[in-house]
Amino acid sequence: MTEAVFRETSAEPRTQAVPLSHLSLELGHFYMEDFEAGPAHLRQHFDRVRPWVEAARTVAVDQAGGKRPRISTCFLIDDYFARFSSPAELVPLLLAEADRAGLVIDYLARESGCAVTGKVPVAEAVAGRIVEEPPPGSYGIRPPAAQTGWLANGERSPTARAPQAMKRAAAWQPPTETAARRHSVFLDVELWSDGPDGRRTWSCPFLAAVWQLARLGLLRNRGEAVLSPHPHPHPHPDADSEFPEDWDELPTLVRLNPRADPFAAYRTCSVLPNRFLPVEHAVRVILDQVEVDPEALHQVAERSARESVAVPDSVADRVSYLFYAGT
Amino acid sequence: MGPEETAARAVLACGEVRTCLLPAGQALDSRAAAQLLRLRADERVLVSERPNLYGRSPDTLTGVDCPLPSSNGARVRAVGTVAARAALTEGRVLQTSAYFRVPATGPDHRRPWGHYLVRPGVVEPFGKLPREAVAQGLLDGGGLGELDVGLIAGGLLTRLLRHPLLDQRPPLRSRPTRLRWVALPTQHGDGPSIERFTVAEDELRTVRLRVPEGTRSAEIAGLCDDLALHDWLLTTVVHILDGIRLGPGTPRARPLPGPAEGRPTVVQALRPAVDHLLHLWMPRARVSRELAPLWTALEEQPGFTRQWQALVQRIRDQLTLHAIPPASREVEPSP
Amino acid sequence: MLVFAASDKGGTGRSVTSANLAYQRALTGDHVAYVDFDFGSPTAAAVFDVPGAMRGTEERGLHSYLEGEVTEPARIDVWRQTEHPLLRARPNQSGRLVLFPGDVGGGEFATDEDALERCVDLLLQLNGEFDLIVVDLSAGRSYAVDLVLAATAHPRMRYVPFRWLVFHRWTRQHVIAASGLVHKENGILKGGVDRGHDEETLQGAIRFVRAAVPDPESPLWLHGSPAQAAWMQACDEALRRLAAEHRIGDSVVLGIVPLEPILQWREQLITEEDVLSTQIANKETLEALEEIARRLTDDSHWGRP
Repeated sequence: MTEAVFRETSAEPRTQAVPLSHLSLELGHFYMEDFEAGPAHLRQHFDRVRPWVEAARTVAVDQAGGKRPRISTCFLIDDYFARFSSPAELVPLLLAEADRAGLVIDYLARESGCAVTGKVPVAEAVAGRIVEEPPPGSYGIRPPAAQTGWLANGERSPTARAPQAMKRAAAWQPPTETAARRHSVFLDVELWSDGPDGRRTWSCPFLAAVWQLARLGLLRNRGEAVLSPHPHPHPHPDADSEFPEDWDELPTLVRLNPRADPFAAYRTCSVLPNRFLPVEHAVRVILDQVEVDPEALHQVAERSARESVAVPDSVADRVSYLFYAGT
Repeated sequence: MGPEETAARAVLACGEVRTCLLPAGQALDSRAAAQLLRLRADERVLVSERPNLYGRSPDTLTGVDCPLPSSNGARVRAVGTVAARAALTEGRVLQTSAYFRVPATGPDHRRPWGHYLVRPGVVEPFGKLPREAVAQGLLDGGGLGELDVGLIAGGLLTRLLRHPLLDQRPPLRSRPTRLRWVALPTQHGDGPSIERFTVAEDELRTVRLRVPEGTRSAEIAGLCDDLALHDWLLTTVVHILDGIRLGPGTPRARPLPGPAEGRPTVVQALRPAVDHLLHLWMPRARVSRELAPLWTALEEQPGFTRQWQALVQRIRDQLTLHAIPPASREVEPSP
Repeated sequence: MLVFAASDKGGTGRSVTSANLAYQRALTGDHVAYVDFDFGSPTAAAVFDVPGAMRGTEERGLHSYLEGEVTEPARIDVWRQTEHPLLRARPNQSGRLVLFPGDVGGGEFATDEDALERCVDLLLQLNGEFDLIVVDLSAGRSYAVDLVLAATAHPRMRYVPFRWLVFHRWTRQHVIAASGLVHKENGILKGGVDRGHDEETLQGAIRFVRAAVPDPESPLWLHGSPAQAAWMQACDEALRRLAAEHRIGDSVVLGIVPLEPILQWREQLITEEDVLSTQIANKETLEALEEIARRLTDDSHWGRP
């Protein structure tokens, strides 16, 4: 750029950097009905997660080039689609069950934070960064099949539109996956739905994709980091619990462990039951088509290069899963 | 190392700029401009007030996978993303600009989409790029199904023109213009140069540039936005002056029935130019220092600023003449 | 200013007459666009004598544009691309005359929300560029009529002035049909109100053009028998009464185009040359066209009668 004497701050973008671990390890993603199922369900979950956590750590050591890898753990509570009980009641229970299985939850997040955090419309911003994967033959015109609120991993079947008078309607065509190897696994993901009152509800896979981007340290709002961890608030001496009575009073991302490694990381790994498989396939379809903030991407590339840690170019390739049998 | 250098070195850059009058009765102030240009919820709109009021949107990307046009019929498939952004000058002239760059070679198969997404504004050829043929093909405009960067600029323009902020009451009639450009690297460390600036059709201009290797494509696009803006101003003011009838009209073979149609008077026709256009002339306001010298060539031949000053003078003379009451004029003002 | 040319029936000379109006306005210095929304029969290229220019635009016309196949519809600069020798010499001080053709071989099609948005985009763009935009609409209660009624009621179009010309021949059936197109069920007025127009304002923006009208006073009929003259007079009187009963009487007529062989058979623009040199067209016809063209923007002929 030109070295200019005169500068206007509003005319110059700056991008905040975030601290990074090697691995962000997700120990679970609980819906309110999971909590309704009682402490036994939690106990069973952590028992099944534990061996995979060991495996993930071993891999992380390898990837860190033999050095002690920085690993942070996190747990996501869905308070977006339904609400149940209160943080004051549930969080201590959750922590006790994790502790019982020998696991430490460093960071606790609320799924609502992936939709909106403070005044930042996080989900809307990510939706604005979707760049659809072009099927062959895309020369610049908007694909006619573009459906607002949906994202596919390929080309949809042409819609049956009424043809011009006396022209023949096109025959049915199958949908195709753009990156197919011979045969297609076509997936069409609903990103959001708009209610009759105009209120937009983000879909679970879309919020989960935002959650992955947060864990990869790639979310920015006008250059500022979003979903930054808040320290665990010191409880009021008179309070019954360390945690508030209302979900909205719990910060969207809390650092429970003061000695935890940074929340965001070069890579993520999530240990989840099998039923998350379709959701996470959808997450991959979304992540594959989100253009993340280039400066944030650049900061990660620069830092990992300095540490001699290999990080895949493609954002979706930085995400991994371990699925256990069960629900 | 900036994000741009992480990609393979580009040997060809190309873009198209659409320029039009903002269809609004009043020019937008900087806040409204920022609102119009907020293409992404999480990115700042660049707003600058010196040396003139100027707003620029963040870049958006469009994925492409199609043949590149070429002048010799070579079929080169290419995959990647085209960047596009919008700019508003003095709240009055709206531009959308789409651009991309091409490395000399690329893999011979399509990679996963994530590979292209982390290289914004790069379109990779399959195999080796026949640079000269593609550069010429891009300037000439491709056939149907070949990469059309103008469509992407046009699509963004359509999106912006639908913005509810605009009342769709343009203060004067004008035509949008298109400026298509390609840039090739200079040889032997030469400085940048304009090889050709062509007024191809009524609305189309083409520019062929040489720029030092490593020049960022966003900077080249910035230069071309500036050229397009000033070319549009010239075109528009020339058309305004063309449209006014000076002196008594040419007599017709048969007189028209009824009273003479109320053609806009000279003052009515020229007034919008004074209100909305004359203060916009400011070449090089936002051109990078490396590329600014390219303006010098255009100032010599055909003499952009010289023509502009002549037009401005003519408008002022006409307005002065018409300010004199007809009774005291000895002759009708004529060209 | 947008001018929509509509008719209930075919054969009213709507296309050729509205093309002549566009041509007349361009001669007086206006920049004029002629937009062919006669989706079932896109033939404006013939009227302007630009068949050669249509080559290469087959799949880029208004059908393709409204269906989203192309983002910019083909445009043909009539002065430059016409094969009509007289038109090619663009008269000094004339405005631009640009034809927006339909797809060659295009047919009627059902329009949807996207087509409506694109139609609004196009009309707004043309409104920013041209002084007058003549839109020729498919005959009858067509998708084209529906589309522009919805477009002109769209919030983005709220400041764009528009007027309607309804063409009909001077016969019983045509008078009744033209009135029906405007006033009856699913007509322009009711359809317009359904789409958000104010009935009174819309009605004030509709005028009728009587086409192919034999003028009993015209020298053409001077040599007829007195009985013939009397009969013509009587028919004319009866038609006037019928028109008035059907609310399309003289007060809402913008103009009358005489019966003119050259409009009926050649279906092309009438130039001064046709009247003065070759004398194949009648002076009255040209004058009628000039007068209607002038009245298009003369407010004293518009508004609630």
